[in-house]
Amino acid sequence: MWGYYFNELIHSLPFFLKGLWMTAAVSGLSLIAGTVIGFVLGILRSGGNKWLKTVIGAWVDLVRGTPFLVQVFIVFFILPEAGIQLEAFPAAALALTNMGACFICEIVAGGLSAVPNGQREAACASGLSRIQQLRYIVLPQAMRTILPPLVGQYVLIIKDSSVVSAIGVVDVTRVGWLTVQRIPEGIMVFGLVGILYFTICYPLIQLSIRLEKRMTIVTTRL
Amino acid sequence: MLESFNFRVILAYMPLYLKCFWATVWLSGLSLIGALLIGTLACMMRISRRSLLSRLAGIYIESIRSTPLLAQLYFFYFGLPTLGIRLPEEVTGIVALTLNSGAYMAEIIRAGIQSIHYGQIEAGIAAGLSYLQRLRCIILPQAMGVTIPPLLGQAIVLVKDSALLSLISIMELTRAGQMLTSERFMPAEGFLTTAAFYLLIYYLLKSLSSWSQNRLIYRKSA
Amino acid sequence: MIEFKSVNKWFGDLHVLKDINLAVAKGEVVVVCGPSGSGKSTLIRCINRLEPIQNGELVVDDMAVHDRKTSMTLLRAEIGFVFQSFNLYPHMTALENVTLAPMKVRGMPRGKARQLGLQILERVGLGDRGASYPEQLSGGQQQRVAIARGLCMHPKIMLFDEPTSALDPEMINEVLDVMRDLAGGGMTMIVVTHEMGFAREVANRVVFMDVGQIMETASPEAFFTKPQTRRGKAFLSKILRH
Repeated sequence: MWGYYFNELIHSLPFFLKGLWMTAAVSGLSLIAGTVIGFVLGILRSGGNKWLKTVIGAWVDLVRGTPFLVQVFIVFFILPEAGIQLEAFPAAALALTNMGACFICEIVAGGLSAVPNGQREAACASGLSRIQQLRYIVLPQAMRTILPPLVGQYVLIIKDSSVVSAIGVVDVTRVGWLTVQRIPEGIMVFGLVGILYFTICYPLIQLSIRLEKRMTIVTTRL
Repeated sequence: MLESFNFRVILAYMPLYLKCFWATVWLSGLSLIGALLIGTLACMMRISRRSLLSRLAGIYIESIRSTPLLAQLYFFYFGLPTLGIRLPEEVTGIVALTLNSGAYMAEIIRAGIQSIHYGQIEAGIAAGLSYLQRLRCIILPQAMGVTIPPLLGQAIVLVKDSALLSLISIMELTRAGQMLTSERFMPAEGFLTTAAFYLLIYYLLKSLSSWSQNRLIYRKSA
Repeated sequence: MIEFKSVNKWFGDLHVLKDINLAVAKGEVVVVCGPSGSGKSTLIRCINRLEPIQNGELVVDDMAVHDRKTSMTLLRAEIGFVFQSFNLYPHMTALENVTLAPMKVRGMPRGKARQLGLQILERVGLGDRGASYPEQLSGGQQQRVAIARGLCMHPKIMLFDEPTSALDPEMINEVLDVMRDLAGGGMTMIVVTHEMGFAREVANRVVFMDVGQIMETASPEAFFTKPQTRRGKAFLSKILRH
């Protein structure tokens, strides 16, 4: 029996690879969009405008205080009531981008505030505009602090993408869920799902750890 | 959309929400305790000088960190029955949450312990304290200060993770929202109320974290 | 060139500058000294609006600094500022540090900026260290690069906020030498410092501050030999003992 199921699983591999591609697609899209939006918001968050800071801060609290699954349901089920009808994949990408941008915003704001004030003052005293200060002096130095947790956040986005299977997006997790209805060997099926996620996430986690080590070496030298 | 927000329906469903709120609380609570125990054990194994224990703990922690919680949840939900183990869904949910958070707690505790300068331990050895005495009097009190904020952070994550239990038919907060949506076609009322309850827990835990940080910082400077 | 008229500044409730009246002419070298907390650093930081003032008038090079509407970008390009903690950009070489502002604020082309940068670095005695990063330089060298960074903009005014206070004793002189050189060349300078020898040699005027007020202004010789105020006398006795 076990051997039969194992064979069936091997035959389902193309299905799993398609799911893997879907996971990569929805994660990749959200990762890129989330990074762009997250950087912009993070820069605004650490700027001088108090009103902006409060609004962004409130949005961050909302996203951090509610489960991602609930956010996905809100985007998928509630937006249609406001007139925005979305299919599963766009809704999933929107929710994932929203969450990613929120956390990346915090990471970027944290990195920017870690740059010593004296750097901003020296640039300001030379006559550089605020944008020039950011571009040539503050952001390059902040990137050292931002990069390791940013890569860590990418791993989290990939893992959270599994939640969108709940609204029917056919990613690796959903493929597993569908397969296990036919091949009732939970351990084999989800073992395979786990291995597939592992091959993507583990190298990225190692990269993040290595980046973190390099950053601490550099700062101790400074 | 919000003009026709139906508060009466929410009131009608409030008993269900309160029951589910309580379910979320005790499911998260039990998993938290379990996670702390498993986390401490895994941490001890990871820093042990016996390479077998260290490697086993390492495999456990890396597997959990590189795979999504939902995949782990399905792994147990679909996999345990194939081993002949039939558990109520709630227990399966707690097992998955416990093992998942346990791995992250192990790393948090490890970071806390390793943040203690070795000089402190040497001072303890020189003073003649035994291993357990050093652990109790020098290492753990200082490790607490470093560890409690991220542990509380993990507790917040765990409460949000518990939302996934709704996908294996457990009656908790997110499921309450799904019920309101499927029975009355009111996803806004359903999921926004759910979100509100989660935000309540989030702010409670965040206040607890701030309060404990203030107390610990005071102790440190004193 | 620089004129303070009844200037007042508060940090929250703390009154840090009280009714400041001071005029600095072109080419003058003014040393500002006083105990810590006297407001001397705050005073010069107001000149290029690193700190805003709440009350009074501050006119620099005919521009109203106290007016919020005045754009400081052009004025800051004419003022060089040297910080106590150098504040060199760690991710750039010495040459890149000094050429950034000329290129980005004045729009100088890269080749011309590099030439200028090397010239100025040569002038402060670091012509061969252009490719070094700040972490590879000693404190005294870093501060000289910081001075070069200010000079590359061909400023009308150079401001120094305790330039040697963060340096080991053996490096203080190399920085003071550069500053002496500048003063000799006719630069308008305001220097907050404890280096009394430098003040005696180079300054046209000494301004003594305490508790946010200007207590005395006099020529260096007059101040050091015959301080007029009680606080001035007390301050000098503490300093000169060392």
